[in-house]
Amino acid sequence: MGSNKNIYKPLRAKLTEVIDESPLIKTFKLVPEEEFAFKTGQFIELSVDGIGEAPFTPSSSPQITDKLEVTVMKTGYMTEFMHNLKPGAYMGIRGPYGRGYPVEKFFGKEVLILGGGCGFAPIRSLLYNLIAVSDKLRKVTLCYGSKTPEDCIYKPYISVLRNTPKFEVLRSVDKATGNWNERVGVVTILLDDVKVDIKNSLAVVCGPPVMMKFGTMKLLEMGYPEHDIYLSMEKNMSCGLGKCGHCMMGKYFVCKDGPVFTYDEIKDQPNIWD
Amino acid sequence: MQYRSIKKEEWDQVLEKLLISHIVYANVADEYGQDYELLRSSDISKISYNKPKPATSLKSFFLPVKENVTSETRPDKPRIIIGVPNCDVEGLSLLDEIYLDKDFEDHFYRIRRENTLLISSDCFGIQEHCHCLTYNIRPYSLSKSDVAVISIDGSIIFRVISEKGEEFLKTIPGAMPLNDKSIILGIEKKQKDTESLLTEANKGLPDYKKTGGIVAEAKREVWEKYSARCVSCGACATICPTCTCFLLIDKPGFEKVKQLDACQYPGFERVAGGEDSLFKLHNRFRNRYMCKYVWKPEKFSSLACTGCGRCIEACIGKINKNELFREFA
Repeated sequence: MGSNKNIYKPLRAKLTEVIDESPLIKTFKLVPEEEFAFKTGQFIELSVDGIGEAPFTPSSSPQITDKLEVTVMKTGYMTEFMHNLKPGAYMGIRGPYGRGYPVEKFFGKEVLILGGGCGFAPIRSLLYNLIAVSDKLRKVTLCYGSKTPEDCIYKPYISVLRNTPKFEVLRSVDKATGNWNERVGVVTILLDDVKVDIKNSLAVVCGPPVMMKFGTMKLLEMGYPEHDIYLSMEKNMSCGLGKCGHCMMGKYFVCKDGPVFTYDEIKDQPNIWD
Repeated sequence: MQYRSIKKEEWDQVLEKLLISHIVYANVADEYGQDYELLRSSDISKISYNKPKPATSLKSFFLPVKENVTSETRPDKPRIIIGVPNCDVEGLSLLDEIYLDKDFEDHFYRIRRENTLLISSDCFGIQEHCHCLTYNIRPYSLSKSDVAVISIDGSIIFRVISEKGEEFLKTIPGAMPLNDKSIILGIEKKQKDTESLLTEANKGLPDYKKTGGIVAEAKREVWEKYSARCVSCGACATICPTCTCFLLIDKPGFEKVKQLDACQYPGFERVAGGEDSLFKLHNRFRNRYMCKYVWKPEKFSSLACTGCGRCIEACIGKINKNELFREFA
């Protein structure tokens, strides 16, 4: 006899604050009604009551278990409703689900992180985690790209990172406006500026599919082995439980076997960049 | 294996009593064909024993087409399903792997499984598209169901399969141990005859593993050709004993309704940003074949196609997967 725990039932969480990160991206601070622990890179199914549910990776520190933050771009039906929510509203949380970043494998190494757009959300959670274990890391380099300076998210956190020993931040925008004084161009151009000891390094990529594709290709060109490139994959995860079939990527359920995969694990699967 | 026997009239009286204490479903034949039906007293004589196969599969007894999965589970009367062909019994193995997964057990599914006694039925004879044996599934159950039933010469013979089945038969005083070897030999002869029919009907049809190779190697032109008459109705997936993809739909009060879905429907893999790797019809069509014969076998130990042939019968475009497999065998 198994337990009668209901795997489909969400935990209620109170929305306490909404932060505008960019014209299309907001961060939602949530306090779940029960303690909620996750590992960095794992995702949750977040629901707007009666409207819909979608997968998001928390952008907050995995060391904090009484509240969490989720950064969401307004993209579709559910996220549009979400962007209209005000503090005090309740949301539903299921999870955490899947396999996150294997942080212990990063020990003793340089970590090169390539992020784009709202892909910074899972990366910020990873960075919180990496700062906490920075004595075990050699160096962390974040290359982050967005469309315009206005689309750059977590601006205060960028300053924090730039003042943290062993951490370096390079940024690019597709189109510069105002007094932007960092790089202009697609995010992969930042990799030309990176000084990294590839043999003692690994790479993490998270962002829109097209950026993930070209980022991975560039990292391979640079000499990163396929098993040292960690990708956070995005599919239409509906249940998060390895059952509903919506996130199948070849033999993998992205929700259960991922969402973090190394490139060598998934390179032969179909439609990985779609 | 142990066998027990009871007179047919006596068994029918047992069924009358079981209708009071249990919810009983059976493979019932009427003028429209045969299918699993909630058994009524007047239909006991219409139970179809040893004839393949109910029109629909067994899965919806355990995975309803639509259910609220945030509601409390209510204890039901114990349930008995009579006349289950072995293709349907074997189909449950994959469902068990997915829904009884130790990480995320679906307790709705488990409670229904525990609450159900499966009385399988040996198939004596085949239907046009039956091809279980091609995938190494025998047309009679020796495991995974609880009891197998055989109707022969005015008697009902039970083959005892599980402990649960043995306990059930102990509650039927008239079911006496069968020691007449000639009857058992007669049953085995009928089983072999059915196997011969299946072998003969499916000559040239590749086995499961070889089918996986054919599907994996098939080029885009093959999928375009075979999907030309597909209208994405999803009947193949809906009727399949092992297709169980679903969608969770949100209702007010953080309630969730789980509804059967199918990768054949447009938008199945579409994400909020608009990307949809199964946008094209031939990609969706191929997806189901890849899932059944290539991907699921890499991940699970149970078969994702039991050779029941229902997808061929249900297709309004008259698409026959076995024609594709034969073409490339």
